[in-house]
Amino acid sequence: MIWLAGTIIRIYRQARFYQIEEYKSGRYLRWALARRDRWLPARPAGAWLVGLLLALFISDAPGSFVPGAVGVITGLIAVWPPDEGEVKKGFKATARAKRLLGAAFVSAAALAAVALLVIPRLPDVSDLRLVAALAAGFALWLLAPVWLVIGNLLMTPVEAAFRRQFVRRAARVLDEVQPTVIGITGSYGKTSTKTYLAHILNGRWKAYPTPKSYNTLMGVCLAINNDLAGDYGVDYFICEMGAYIPGEIESICRLTHPAISIVVEVGPQHLERFGSLENVARAKYEIIKALPPDGVGVFNWDNPYVRKMYERGYPGTRLAVSKTVNPADVPPGGPRFVASDIEETLDGLRFTVTDAQTGEREPFVTPLLGEHNVTNLLLAAAVAVYEGMPLRDVARRVRSLQPAESRLVRQMTPEGITIINDAYSANPVGAAYALRVLSLHQGGRRLLITPGMVELGPLMESENRKLGEIAAAHATDVILVGAGQTGPVKTGLLAAGFPPERLHVVDTLAEAVSWYQNELRAGDTVLFLNDLPDTYSS
Amino acid sequence: MSAKRKTAVGVIFGGRSVEHDVSVVTGHQVMRAFDPERYEVVPVYINRDGRWYTGEPLLELKNFKDEITSYKGVMNAVISPSVEHHGLIINPTSGRFERSRVKRLDVVFPAVHGSHGEDGTLQGLFELADLPYVGCGVLASAVANDKIMTKIVLSQQGIPIVEGVSFSRAEWQEAPDKVIGHIVHELPQYPLFVKPATLGSSIGIGRANDETMLRAYIEVAANLDRLILVENAVTGCVEINCAVMGSGTDVRASVLEQPVSWEEFLTYEEKYLRGGEGMKSAERLIPAPLEPELAEQIRQMAIRAFRAVDGRGTARVDFLVRPEEKAIYVNELNTMPGSLAFYLWQEDGLSPQQVVDKLVELAREAHAEKRRSTYNYQTNLLEVAAQRGLKGVKGAKGRAKNPTAAP
Repeated sequence: MIWLAGTIIRIYRQARFYQIEEYKSGRYLRWALARRDRWLPARPAGAWLVGLLLALFISDAPGSFVPGAVGVITGLIAVWPPDEGEVKKGFKATARAKRLLGAAFVSAAALAAVALLVIPRLPDVSDLRLVAALAAGFALWLLAPVWLVIGNLLMTPVEAAFRRQFVRRAARVLDEVQPTVIGITGSYGKTSTKTYLAHILNGRWKAYPTPKSYNTLMGVCLAINNDLAGDYGVDYFICEMGAYIPGEIESICRLTHPAISIVVEVGPQHLERFGSLENVARAKYEIIKALPPDGVGVFNWDNPYVRKMYERGYPGTRLAVSKTVNPADVPPGGPRFVASDIEETLDGLRFTVTDAQTGEREPFVTPLLGEHNVTNLLLAAAVAVYEGMPLRDVARRVRSLQPAESRLVRQMTPEGITIINDAYSANPVGAAYALRVLSLHQGGRRLLITPGMVELGPLMESENRKLGEIAAAHATDVILVGAGQTGPVKTGLLAAGFPPERLHVVDTLAEAVSWYQNELRAGDTVLFLNDLPDTYSS
Repeated sequence: MSAKRKTAVGVIFGGRSVEHDVSVVTGHQVMRAFDPERYEVVPVYINRDGRWYTGEPLLELKNFKDEITSYKGVMNAVISPSVEHHGLIINPTSGRFERSRVKRLDVVFPAVHGSHGEDGTLQGLFELADLPYVGCGVLASAVANDKIMTKIVLSQQGIPIVEGVSFSRAEWQEAPDKVIGHIVHELPQYPLFVKPATLGSSIGIGRANDETMLRAYIEVAANLDRLILVENAVTGCVEINCAVMGSGTDVRASVLEQPVSWEEFLTYEEKYLRGGEGMKSAERLIPAPLEPELAEQIRQMAIRAFRAVDGRGTARVDFLVRPEEKAIYVNELNTMPGSLAFYLWQEDGLSPQQVVDKLVELAREAHAEKRRSTYNYQTNLLEVAAQRGLKGVKGAKGRAKNPTAAP
């Protein structure tokens, strides 16, 4: 019974990681098996071993209660849940998670019942029954991840039915509310672009963007079913679409039917899942392919992969934006909206937007930081102007923008330390711009806290090394969180001549925070770059 | 908006007013003017009692001979003031057989004349619902609908008006002699016009040549309205009407018309019902036979009057003019003129289709202008109130701070 209770606790604890890995059994098991302490923690294993030996040793005293007591005590020691340490993303008791847990509990309990039935019937040879009981209990506990996976497999047909129903409901809602759907995808920048576009359009119409980073088919359905349903006032539904596997964007488009699609960037994000940048680009292009012939494609001209999409010539109406092309020198068939004279100060960005088609020019001033936001704003402006908003009105809306959550958000602590939070999904382009923002703070020390970048596939090592090299030029102090994956960053830093005494490697974010709280003074600045899910923590 | 779907335009007509019938006719003229390729016309009919309906049969003017609600397909419907509906709730009190549902409207076109329609009340509903709507806003509609308020606003802007005196029904009923004394003192010269302050289409208006008639007409007017206006009758004048369209500084005026049967007085029957098929055949001269210079002066005055009441969309400004002396008086503004003055714009080369297109565009612009203002201002007042209770936030108005600091 103790083992069963322990197993149930362990299943519950593990469910959090399973959830983070999006219920993908392969990904989860790979994670669980990647390190011994994940699938075979030392304390329970040791306690079990000791208990087994003790039990064998003293079981000679017949009729004694001692072996049983030993079993109980060692069992308790073994399964007593370990301290979880830092939990960044807690388990969310969604309906699906509850069904999964139920199935996992039942499958574990069923096996325990079988064991209880079988063991007393074993021949009474030496200590066979005792060993069998202990072994069964331990196996039950050890295989907690397997029960989760089995539970998930059992629930697969049920979940599929739930999903189909959920998608059908979302389709009905869209059919009733009939908003103009704007799709946004990109390896990065899509959440920011979505947030800015919604803010701009809301200056004239009513736009509803998918909340936070909801960008899977189920996330989009959730947004539609929860918030869009019943709101007939919505003119535009801005739908962020992520590509974790090929075909995912296509499936979101099949539901939403975008009339306008924006491709922000193609980059090495999630490269380990796609294999090559060409594959990433192919997955992103699904959002353009899904447009009707009279739809509108909006492209970032400065990204070579996205520019190729623009040049493929579908649909008939295509808008491209650029912050590198000279507005006086736009090639025919080139970008329509061009940013020039880009200035970045601590107060934000200033630049001039030229509509190459009308010749109109408008100064843009925004409190946003990070030069990559110029591209995001141009893309948003292109859609707004196309939909009939004067460029001047767009500029007015841009003035009152706020950064998207955890994307280069700047705050001052009561002690006078400036905190720049860029915790979401660091990517090579965004990271470089974030470091430039850090170096604008010339008043005091400039501390970078980062666990490096992940999911960049074969480019992970080189990009992280590059990150280190750039950081050396902009930061005065660096704290790397997690010795394992930050190795290349460290190499890059030291190669670029960063003083080793200014470089610290810690295990948790909490350590990094307490370090700067002790060391930094008013006028200093901290940049939090990227924040990894708990499945990455060392 | 992208050209993905047709613009759903709700045309509202009828209404709880003496001009109900005229409004039904105007509503159908408007509905017919919309290009079916680009617009989905949703008829919304308000009957004399103030009940609201929608449904296919309302699209046919001939059905209004009968009891319209007896037609199959006519359903109860209301415009919801709640922003998420953005239009009609059909079958709002869903019964056993009918489910209630929402019909989103992209823009509403109130083709309702007079009370409960042209007076700012409907417009107030659209403002609450955050719906783009055709025509003047709440204030301009209310001011123009009230002949007394119109005089006050126009004279404030230096626009010539006919002198008048106003008083309330209660004042009249309590001390009629005192009221008469005041009128005679202010306006010593007969004939005088007696008008209910807020009714249109000449209803309840009388021309008094002596005190007996004056008392009789005031009695009639006092039965129709709470406020009564008595003004000088401008003798030897012609009535001239001019339609205007636009908003802000971009307002254009139409050609001028002169209704011809001014000679005795324009009665309700003459204004709307002469001839077989409604307003079109009422006798009028278009363009009005005036010197070009005077005509232009009138057109400019129409634009000034329209702007003085902060008008937008459209209106018809009615003048009294003595051509020989070049004397011009603004008599009244109609913010929802009969037939939308299509016949005047036609002379200017604008088809009814172009007029409604333009009016919808103006409605959208006005709505966009409204969106430029911020209504949602985040304060921490409720947080504070939740923490400290109501006592803690006494006099909090103006003290609540705006937590705009980066999140």
